Amino acid sequence: MLARATTHALVGLDARPIEVEAHLQRGVPAFAIVGLPDKACQEAKERVRSGIASAELEWPLRRITVNLAPAGLRKEGSGFDLPIALAILAASRQVPLDRLARHAALGELALDGRVRPVRGAIVAAEAALHAGLGLLLCAAESAPEAALGGVEPVPVRHLAEAAAYLRGRAEPQPVEPPPPLPAALLPDLRDVRGQERARRALEIAAAGRHNLLLGGPPGTGKTMLARRLPGILPPLTREEALEVTRIHSVAGVLPASQPLVAHPPFRAPHHTASTPAIVGGGPGPRPGEATLAHRGVLLLDELGEFPRPSLEALRQPLEDGTIAVARIAGRILFPARFLLVGTMNLCPCGARGDPAVECSCSPARLAAYREKLSRALLDRFDLVLTMPRARSSEVVGPAGEGSTAVSTRVSAAAERLAHRPPAVSEAAGDLLARAVDSLGLSARGHARVGRVAATVAALAASERVEPAHVAEALSYRSPTDLAVAA
Amino acid sequence: MTRAPIPRGGAGYPALLAQLHDPPPRLWLRGDAVDALARPAVAVVGARSCSAYGSQVARSLARDLAGAGLVVVSGLARGIDAEAHRGALEAGGATVAVLGCGIDRDYPARHAELARRIVEAGGLVVSEYEAGVEPAPWRFPARNRIIAGLALATVVVEARERSGALITADFALELGREVFAVPGEITSDLAAGTNRLIRQGAAPLLEVEDVLDALGIEAEPGGASASVADVGEPARRVLAELADGPRGPDDLVRTTGLDAATVAAALVELELAGAAFEAEGTYRPARRGRAPPVCRPG
Repeated sequence: MLARATTHALVGLDARPIEVEAHLQRGVPAFAIVGLPDKACQEAKERVRSGIASAELEWPLRRITVNLAPAGLRKEGSGFDLPIALAILAASRQVPLDRLARHAALGELALDGRVRPVRGAIVAAEAALHAGLGLLLCAAESAPEAALGGVEPVPVRHLAEAAAYLRGRAEPQPVEPPPPLPAALLPDLRDVRGQERARRALEIAAAGRHNLLLGGPPGTGKTMLARRLPGILPPLTREEALEVTRIHSVAGVLPASQPLVAHPPFRAPHHTASTPAIVGGGPGPRPGEATLAHRGVLLLDELGEFPRPSLEALRQPLEDGTIAVARIAGRILFPARFLLVGTMNLCPCGARGDPAVECSCSPARLAAYREKLSRALLDRFDLVLTMPRARSSEVVGPAGEGSTAVSTRVSAAAERLAHRPPAVSEAAGDLLARAVDSLGLSARGHARVGRVAATVAALAASERVEPAHVAEALSYRSPTDLAVAA
Repeated sequence: MTRAPIPRGGAGYPALLAQLHDPPPRLWLRGDAVDALARPAVAVVGARSCSAYGSQVARSLARDLAGAGLVVVSGLARGIDAEAHRGALEAGGATVAVLGCGIDRDYPARHAELARRIVEAGGLVVSEYEAGVEPAPWRFPARNRIIAGLALATVVVEARERSGALITADFALELGREVFAVPGEITSDLAAGTNRLIRQGAAPLLEVEDVLDALGIEAEPGGASASVADVGEPARRVLAELADGPRGPDDLVRTTGLDAATVAAALVELELAGAAFEAEGTYRPARRGRAPPVCRPG
């Protein structure tokens, strides 16, 4: 007796349809799963057997062969448990074949038969819809996410519930999607006191999506400021939100309480993270931090502490917004269009730039610290600035302007840049040319200052880039030896 | 393709150097501009591990000295020395780097490119050691006597209590040449050596004209202050604030009442006009007492 169930396997950020075939034959009772399952998938045997027993269904005492087709594609993870169990139940005529054929299924089984959520539900839902299957049997926790993918989710909490539903004896209990997370929960710029210059740079970075490098002694609020960047970025469009949700779902970092990533994501990998953890990789390549930060902010705190290979690997996404992970089986492209924020001390001991402490670094040590960052990487930072240590008068001073007001200006400027980019006035062009000579800007530095000046003009709601805008753009290249000039 | 060394007493051997009580028996050179050794020269020396302020002072000082037609002599070391060479190159002037190792060696190695640019710009790299001699600690004081010997005056920009730059100053004093020291904060280690020099009788250097006057060179009427007159109203207000001491942009926002964007633009305007410079997030006026009146007449 043969039965089929449909499920999906993740390949990069896509889901490929997988046909789960269960064949029952006469013979010594046995159970085999074939079709390139990985370890987690191979262990489905034990979970499926216990799950069926716990659901008070019958484990067929036959020679059971389960094939996952196409057999050439490597299957990873535990999401095949539910479809395998359902295919076996259908093959032993415990659930109707024709009804199962109208559903896709996805979920891990607990030994007591409960259905657990797995990563990538939204991607599987979209693929199911694409294949003409409008219904997805999945864990209750996955249902809101699957609904985003366009299918009608059939939330099942237990294998017994799934079987009862397929037999037509029970209706699934709908799951209410959780309310969207209010933006107010994001860190607010109100908390930043003083630091007028850094706040201004943050606003420019958000409006023009310019990468930002913050230098300065420890404790000046570099990280605090960077964390407030997502709160002032223009909100994600529906398309963008779905795109980010897909990525986060596949990576398994989507919180159950928030199925749709509505706000620009913020990722801050520690400098001990491996290169694959940052740019993506692994045997069945998974997205890394850079991809998780897609359409949001990637903060590299203590840039100088990151191993050089990790930093160099980021040059590709900074250039074209994608990361290619090459495997024998093929190449997988991950999107990674993020706003990069780097922070660093001005020297290894951290005292440089702080008038209260004398730096104890030898010139050789200082040079080694700075040389770790290749010019090619530093060239990607449009805005470079030093943050001074805040004084006590600032720390207890009045609260700064809130994120909402800043965000309004940022969105207006981003809109203007996209549709009516300001033209460069003649005087502004002259000033830029003069700066190239006297400040020794490289060709790339020239282009970068031009871009920042356009954003400054857009923030001022100006039709044209005026000399004052160019002058301000030129000021974000300090410390100079980190900016392009040298 | 090494050039033959100039022997002591040979053609092109600098007369000033011969006044040392132990002049080098021969001078090896890199570069063709042998006459650079015959022109009036000023040594600019100081700490290797210097402050951003010190490096800025060394650079602009060397720039002005080279602009006045003087050759800037230094030791190609990190910090003040390198900035002095760079400042002279920026002004399009000739500069002489004296090595404490064989003429074929670039020490420190990271300044190989700087040495190449010095030679290309009509300057010289000089050593009393033939090719292949390793740098050694005891060769640097010997190198310093050549720096002092080549220059009519020696300027120490930043020096700790026991700095090689003070050895250069001692040689200059022995030769009866002018010694200038840039005064610094009395609480800073980097100014301990220079302030002590001043107490011992070195002339404090407050502006480049001090050196030019001592050498009897006519200073050109300030080109920089002329361009300061062209800056806008916000830039004048910012410059007036800077005259009271170094400030960060955030301080300037508070004290001038201008917004962050205007202050940023004003600071760049001042930088381009050569009236202010930035180091590690702090801005300083490039010169003292040149701040124009805040309000435009009329």
